[in-house]
Amino acid sequence: MAPGVLSALGWRVALVFLAALFLGLTLGGLAWWLFAGALGLFLYLAYAAWGLEQWLRTGKRRSEAAADGVLAAVYADIVQLKQRARRRKKRFNRLLREVRDSTDAMHDGGVILNADMEITWLNDAASRLLGLDRSRDQGQHITNLVRHPDFVAYIEQAEFSEKLKMPGPRRNTHLSVQLIPYGNQQKLLIVQDFTREVRLEHMRRDFVANVSHELRSPLTVIAGYLESLGDENSLDEVWREPVTEMQRQVARMNSIVHDLITLSRLEAAERPAGQEPVDVPGMLGQLHRDALARRERPGELELRLETPALVRGEEQELHSVFSNLLNNALRFTPADGRIECRWWQDERGLHFSLTDTGIGIPEALIPRVTERFFRVDSGRAREVGGTGLGLAIVKHALLRHGGQLEIQSRPGEGSTFTCHFPPSRVVLPADEVVQDAGEAH
Amino acid sequence: MDTSDFGHHISSRFNEDLDRLRNSVLAMGGLVESQLQRAVEAVVRGDSELGLAVARDDQRVDRMEIEIDQACSRIIATRQPAAGDLRLIMAIIKAITDLERIGDEAEKIATLATRLATMERPADRYRELASLAAQVQEMLRAALDALARLDAKAAVQTLAMDEQVDREYDSITRQCITFMMEDPRTIGRVMNVTWVARSLERIGDHAKNICEYVVYMVHGRDVRHLDQARVARELARPTAEGQG
Repeated sequence: MAPGVLSALGWRVALVFLAALFLGLTLGGLAWWLFAGALGLFLYLAYAAWGLEQWLRTGKRRSEAAADGVLAAVYADIVQLKQRARRRKKRFNRLLREVRDSTDAMHDGGVILNADMEITWLNDAASRLLGLDRSRDQGQHITNLVRHPDFVAYIEQAEFSEKLKMPGPRRNTHLSVQLIPYGNQQKLLIVQDFTREVRLEHMRRDFVANVSHELRSPLTVIAGYLESLGDENSLDEVWREPVTEMQRQVARMNSIVHDLITLSRLEAAERPAGQEPVDVPGMLGQLHRDALARRERPGELELRLETPALVRGEEQELHSVFSNLLNNALRFTPADGRIECRWWQDERGLHFSLTDTGIGIPEALIPRVTERFFRVDSGRAREVGGTGLGLAIVKHALLRHGGQLEIQSRPGEGSTFTCHFPPSRVVLPADEVVQDAGEAH
Repeated sequence: MDTSDFGHHISSRFNEDLDRLRNSVLAMGGLVESQLQRAVEAVVRGDSELGLAVARDDQRVDRMEIEIDQACSRIIATRQPAAGDLRLIMAIIKAITDLERIGDEAEKIATLATRLATMERPADRYRELASLAAQVQEMLRAALDALARLDAKAAVQTLAMDEQVDREYDSITRQCITFMMEDPRTIGRVMNVTWVARSLERIGDHAKNICEYVVYMVHGRDVRHLDQARVARELARPTAEGQG
């Protein structure tokens, strides 16, 4: 360890002062000798400072001369500082490289955007998925290069809690993107490739639709023959019962195929349902009358229309929503039970609820009842008929109308199914004309 | 001190204006790209509803053209841009005209799609059209990317893609003529197919124009109506006024 600057300077000053004193006393002119000594010291210090400055500027290694000069301690400290900085830099570089390597290894793309939505950083996957060029696109406004209108609209809104699904810039790719704000108005854009999922989903959908269509014609032929067979007078009595049973089963298969086709059509439709005003109160009234006309039905069957409001949407789909719900309730409610339907409106939109005193659904199974072919009690459900697709159809049709299905139930006590329609789809009968005129601008 | 600060303020506002202008041109480009993509999808899938939606959305493109046009006039009137800035604005005014035309062609394709949807579909599901459309879409994307990055080199490369588009258009036309001669009953449908191909080919030409504006914007060289070799020679020539 080099001696400190003060001690190094101290003995030099003392030595010069003593020498000047000695020379001044022996040769006379003490003041001049002291002045010369001070000047010498000053020049020496100036030289040392200049040397330090040169060394710092040129950045050379510490010279031997400086090592034992007056500033030796300063040199030593600076060298140490430099070494420490160099080590820290190395560590940071390594860390940075690791972060970069790991983000490049990610399958999902990541883009960091500044407050002005300009690209400040992106990883490999992002440049691949979005067709960006890492070396040149920093500082570009993101929507200049990712130009899909849906994405531009997504970026411009203030709320990013939802993911956006959009086609990628490369052909036949599908991306899901989400913007996550963080820090000082910076944003992280996460990009995921779900082309494979979309393709699988398409394949599954096409398969179901094709199978259902293919099954339809053989079923029609079988049903036709069974019908003429049942009408045949010469048919042996032994075969009478089996033929009737076959007819029943064919009818069931027919309705399953019919429901499957309905369901796959609902799923395949990518755009939301149309905007035609549909007279739901009239539709419910008709369904109610049909239900009352049934021979086997619960004793109490009530319909309360509290609002004349209509819903914008597709008539056929809405009809299948309500008829499926009502038929379900009729099927699972005993003759001494009761069914109550209600159509009402509040500030959150339009609602249809159906309360029955049927067998109910165990709470754990409620989320699953809208799955295809899911049955709470398989033996019983088949006994009362139904395809197992009704609630799936209800769910999908409601989704296409921006609506939701809510189910509350208690085993043994009954269930309440509620359909919610958003305010944007509400039409009041009086302003139907006004609304149509208002759409023009 | 005061005046320089004032000047700086103005020029940064000016820069902001130019940036915003470029952003809106590219937003319009994005809309046109998606219009084209949806129109082609309507043809290939025989989806008449989608075709109608595309035709309806064309007015959004028209509206954007008018807005950007006005913004350009305003900037010219209030800022009196010079050199590179002026070239940028001139190029943008021209580019939006081409984008609007591409929008119109997409609308045409969409309308033809609604008509084709009602007719019998060929076994190959318009594979040739889909392939031509893929090329044109790629060309439009590359042209807009070049515009966003002000990348003259990419623009020149994109110009070259037009030849391939033209070749494919020719082959589709020849194929259509063969179909019509073989079976006159298909004439109605095949005529519609040729019109779709024609529109796609026109879109390729408009994309080419956009690339030429990019070259003009970056180098100040007019490369319109030149063939490939002369474009390259023109760009290799040293500039008299420098790269400003």
